Amino acid sequence: MTSYRLAKGGLVDRGAPLAFSFDGKPMQGFEGDTLASALLANGQMLVGRSFKYHRPRGILTAGASEPNALVTIGRRGRTEPNTRATVQELYEGLEARSQNRWPSLDFDVGALNGLLSPFLGAGFYYKTFMWPAPLWEKLYEPFIRRAAGLGKATHEADPDSYEKSWAHCDLLVVGAGPAGLAAALTAGRAGARVILVDEGSMPGGSLLFDTAMIDGKTASDFADGAGAELQSMPNVRLMTRTTVFGWYDGNVFGAVERVQKHVRDPASHLPVERLWRIVAKQALLATGAEERPLVFGGNDRPGVMTASAMRAYLNRYGVAPGKATAIFTSNDSGYLLARDLEAAGVEVTAVVDSRPTAALSYRGRARLIANAVVSRTKGSKSVSAIEVLRDGRSETIAVDALAIAGGFSPIIHLACLRGSKPFWSEEKAAFLAPQDLKGLRIAGAAAATAGIAACMQEGSAQTMAILCELGFSCRPATLPNVEAEEESRPAKPLWSIPGIKGKAFVDFQNDVHLKDIGLAVREGYGHVELAKRYTTSGMATDQGKLSNVNAIGLLAEARGVSPAEVGTTTFRPFYTPVSFGALTGAHSGFHFQPVRKSPLHDWAAKNGAIFVETGLWYRSAWFPRGGEKTWRESVDREVVNVRQNVGLCDVSTLGKIEIFGADAAEFLNRIYCNAFLKLPVGKARYGLMLREDGFIYDDGTTSRLGEEHFFMTTTTAYAAGVMNHLEFCAQALWPELDVRLASATDQWAQMAIAGPKARLVLEKIVDDDISSAAFPFLAAKEVSLCGGKLHARLFRISFSGELAYELAVPAGYAESVADILMDAGAEYGLQPYGTEALGVLRIEKGHVTHSEINGTVIPDDLGFGKLVSATKADFIGKAMLEREGLKASDRLRLVGVRPLDPTASFKTGSHILEKNAAPTLENDQGYITSSAFSPHVGCTIGLALVKRGPERLGEEVVVWNGLKSEYTPAILCDPTFVDPTNERLHV
Amino acid sequence: MSDFRIALRPALGSATGPASRGVSLTAMPEGHVVQVLGRRPHAPDLSGVLEKAAGPAHRAVHAAGPGQWFIVGDAPLSRDEFAALSAALQPHATAVDQSHGRIRIRVEGTMVERMLAKGTAVDLDPGAFPVGTSAMTLLGHVSVHLTRIEIAVFEIMVLRGFAESLWEDLVRMSAEFA
Amino acid sequence: MASLISCPHCGVRPKEEFAIKGAVLSRPAPDAGHQAWTEYVYLRDNPRGIHREYWHHTSGCRRWLVVTRDTASHEVELCLDAAAAKLAGVRP
Repeated sequence: MTSYRLAKGGLVDRGAPLAFSFDGKPMQGFEGDTLASALLANGQMLVGRSFKYHRPRGILTAGASEPNALVTIGRRGRTEPNTRATVQELYEGLEARSQNRWPSLDFDVGALNGLLSPFLGAGFYYKTFMWPAPLWEKLYEPFIRRAAGLGKATHEADPDSYEKSWAHCDLLVVGAGPAGLAAALTAGRAGARVILVDEGSMPGGSLLFDTAMIDGKTASDFADGAGAELQSMPNVRLMTRTTVFGWYDGNVFGAVERVQKHVRDPASHLPVERLWRIVAKQALLATGAEERPLVFGGNDRPGVMTASAMRAYLNRYGVAPGKATAIFTSNDSGYLLARDLEAAGVEVTAVVDSRPTAALSYRGRARLIANAVVSRTKGSKSVSAIEVLRDGRSETIAVDALAIAGGFSPIIHLACLRGSKPFWSEEKAAFLAPQDLKGLRIAGAAAATAGIAACMQEGSAQTMAILCELGFSCRPATLPNVEAEEESRPAKPLWSIPGIKGKAFVDFQNDVHLKDIGLAVREGYGHVELAKRYTTSGMATDQGKLSNVNAIGLLAEARGVSPAEVGTTTFRPFYTPVSFGALTGAHSGFHFQPVRKSPLHDWAAKNGAIFVETGLWYRSAWFPRGGEKTWRESVDREVVNVRQNVGLCDVSTLGKIEIFGADAAEFLNRIYCNAFLKLPVGKARYGLMLREDGFIYDDGTTSRLGEEHFFMTTTTAYAAGVMNHLEFCAQALWPELDVRLASATDQWAQMAIAGPKARLVLEKIVDDDISSAAFPFLAAKEVSLCGGKLHARLFRISFSGELAYELAVPAGYAESVADILMDAGAEYGLQPYGTEALGVLRIEKGHVTHSEINGTVIPDDLGFGKLVSATKADFIGKAMLEREGLKASDRLRLVGVRPLDPTASFKTGSHILEKNAAPTLENDQGYITSSAFSPHVGCTIGLALVKRGPERLGEEVVVWNGLKSEYTPAILCDPTFVDPTNERLHV
Repeated sequence: MSDFRIALRPALGSATGPASRGVSLTAMPEGHVVQVLGRRPHAPDLSGVLEKAAGPAHRAVHAAGPGQWFIVGDAPLSRDEFAALSAALQPHATAVDQSHGRIRIRVEGTMVERMLAKGTAVDLDPGAFPVGTSAMTLLGHVSVHLTRIEIAVFEIMVLRGFAESLWEDLVRMSAEFA
Repeated sequence: MASLISCPHCGVRPKEEFAIKGAVLSRPAPDAGHQAWTEYVYLRDNPRGIHREYWHHTSGCRRWLVVTRDTASHEVELCLDAAAAKLAGVRP
């Protein structure tokens, strides 16, 4: 016989049927079911195949620790493998599929592994497939992975959305069972900010399947009422369907809320999961306890279930495990189940108690067999009988379900995530978490306290202590009156069971059985951490929630020591698996990072710009015109137009920093390697910033707008870094200087107006005299535009080598001013140009960017040796610049390169070799840092860092592209391809 | 050439967002934002100076870290007004015009704290973050300056270049309350 | 998942708002010599236990802080404004 639904009882709504399917077979459950309870109600006891031996497996638990009932649910992008059927709420239309079987769950070829099992023990893979090594990757591993596995992830994109949120509270209570509810009510009534979290769909925990009466109500009604009271308190947040998975520094708890994992069609305005970071002043762990299985032959057969799980299915879901149930117990838990089963009209065939005497309080009809053990189960795909061993005699009893009760392990996972080690309590027969944790207390079954009244008492008392610490006035809470509660004594653990036959599983999910543990000890892997890795016990996705304590007990016995001496392995987050979606949150795809837009973005877009992502910025790369078929055509036209007429380029992305203060000049003098102290007001200067190790950090122009006011520009890429660096120098190094910094990058839109006709264009809108005499090269000042309608900053600086200006206007007016300039410049051939043309123009002029300033160069390498002040007492990088290696004669230094054959070309990154030299490391002369087709020169040109470069102008070399084995004969030349005497700058 | 017309283009000119009791988003007028840099970060109390400099109503002073403030208002500041404000702060502090560099967004509604908690780790409970409090913080991936204007009204100030991106984030964060 | 730093200006904030530069060291005098400068620029201790570092509240008040923390327990013992500490003569 199989499991079935009872006619009455439980919290499921028999008036609300839900259709679902398992392996394509239509089934029906009720509102309030989990997938597991619904499968049991439909008599589906076989739900999966085991990891290694492909043994038939059923449902072992009713909660988060489930090692067997892992199924794949959903379809397409919503496919979710390894879903624990025991926690998945049933919904209309749910599609579940079993895993790790082929061709079907009932007939699985992989089960042949079971026949090979004598050879498949712990360490088998390591020993057998050691040699020959190359076969591991090609043969063994793929084979093993196919045979031993979990569900398969989908390759389709997840259509759902996720998000993250922070929450803050005085007290976080983890778990809404008896202890947690009492704690939350105590703290809530005292006015504290409380967050109560529970992984279930409703508060109550074990109350939802307990038969005790509380304040005259059923336990589940009491839980419901307590939940309603908490919901009504504005200072309490009750979060159901939420699992706290980690405890982190600063008393922050990570939790994942399954917002829409219990519905078929998630609503688009809500995420499906939400990741919470909960900052708690104090926390109370009321996570309950896990009932341990017992380790005997065939303890994994479908139909075998922990006693408390069977009680949950019976009392909460109205599902009976079978027609004839046996109970194998080492403590009083089994008798609670026996009583409840009989009350529901389900026959209990036998209670097998490993203790010398059975529980005296039991008054039921079942046959009591004390001082006995179950040595094995019999059956094929579900239990048909058990073999009971007593006084050396064995007896077979026909049953169709078996409950096992091996004692309780407090759920202390969270408490052990910040370095604390659990300790073994002989009295409680359990590993307990230390009670002296900072910011975290433990109550209820998680502290090995038994009984509803005692758990509530402890939850409330611990909360009182917390409230006092937090400064709340606390009165002892009135606790509800609990009746009809069975008392239970601590279990004496039963580790190894004598006379067992067949495989006795310790770790169900990873198929680790008793003999594997023994083998580990015999082969010298008896240390708990080694045994874990040798046998893989506790290493599955359930992290050994059910198996670890049994494995430790068995190791202890095999080594002849106490579990205290064996200790536990290290606890790590997450308590239960967390989806990548939840960890990613809202920031995926296009929203992976924010977009930063220039104030001239829309102006560029309406002028036809093609954009390129530069860090977070979108920059205009080029502006194609009708008839242009390739980007090169557009870029060449833009370059030529700047050299012949005039161009307009958006350079708003440059970093801009306002620097004020009596010591601003002195500050800059220390920041830059060149002199700034005597820069006159109204002048701009090129500045070179070093790192403290002497290498160049960044460059830019800085203008003095007033005696105590400078305006610095940085490169786009290093804008944020330079600001941090300046703040470090101003605050941490030289706080005695009067210097104040403000980032003004977003305040100013900046446009380069470059070309021989630049002044003609600007003169049409700038009110001030900008003739070369009045406003010479490197002049910088505030000007007024369009008859005083607007004030702007004008700088006569040039990146292209042409007569050029940069005009900075308040960002909101940028588009308007750019439009005006385009109008004004039409008669002079003004065209927009993008970053590609900007790059070509600066390479032609031999100006460097971060392609050359690549962290390996000092000023002298780039021809800036003379710029470095010899007289300044100190500046960032000065001391280390004196190092011997930075003065070596064969350093790579900046030089120009062009191909001997003007139709030939080369690529950035190619290396420089002497003529006829083989491409070896020792022959390497340097490399191309930047290259472009130069319309001005008429061929590809490049900038390169070459050993002794400036001394080798005119030398014929070979440019070698190792990726394509291309050798291009070339000549080293001056890096300034355009106007080497700088006449154009000064016109 | 005084016949050219110079027009302001608001950073969030075309932005639309939720306007419900739960959460509503409004792009605030691009009036003025003046960053005030105290001469010393740990200067004596400048509140009197700031109040005087900020002048009449329609302007608010928001703290922005040690020795720094933002003076904000909905109306644009003329050149003369800025000069006057600047002079009033001397010699204690320097004024930097950031009217175009910072964009202000008003977020309000019954669920505004829950919405903002999706982005910032600052505890926005009125007990911890009363009306008038400002914080500079990370909202999602974007740095912002956050001020509680009223019990259920916050003003977010963000760099102009990030304004659109932040607006989109806020719209998504508000979806469940809209 | 999370770490909280108590900024002396902003209060408790998550580590995402900060950038870490590294150990707090005294910048040598310009003429302190090669050895002193090499140690300052390149040589770092990797202590287990108390460690003092420069942290920058990049997405907050933008102040540089001196954070004293325990590298083993992650406990933050002290968090001072770097400029205020230096002006007050607190030894780096």
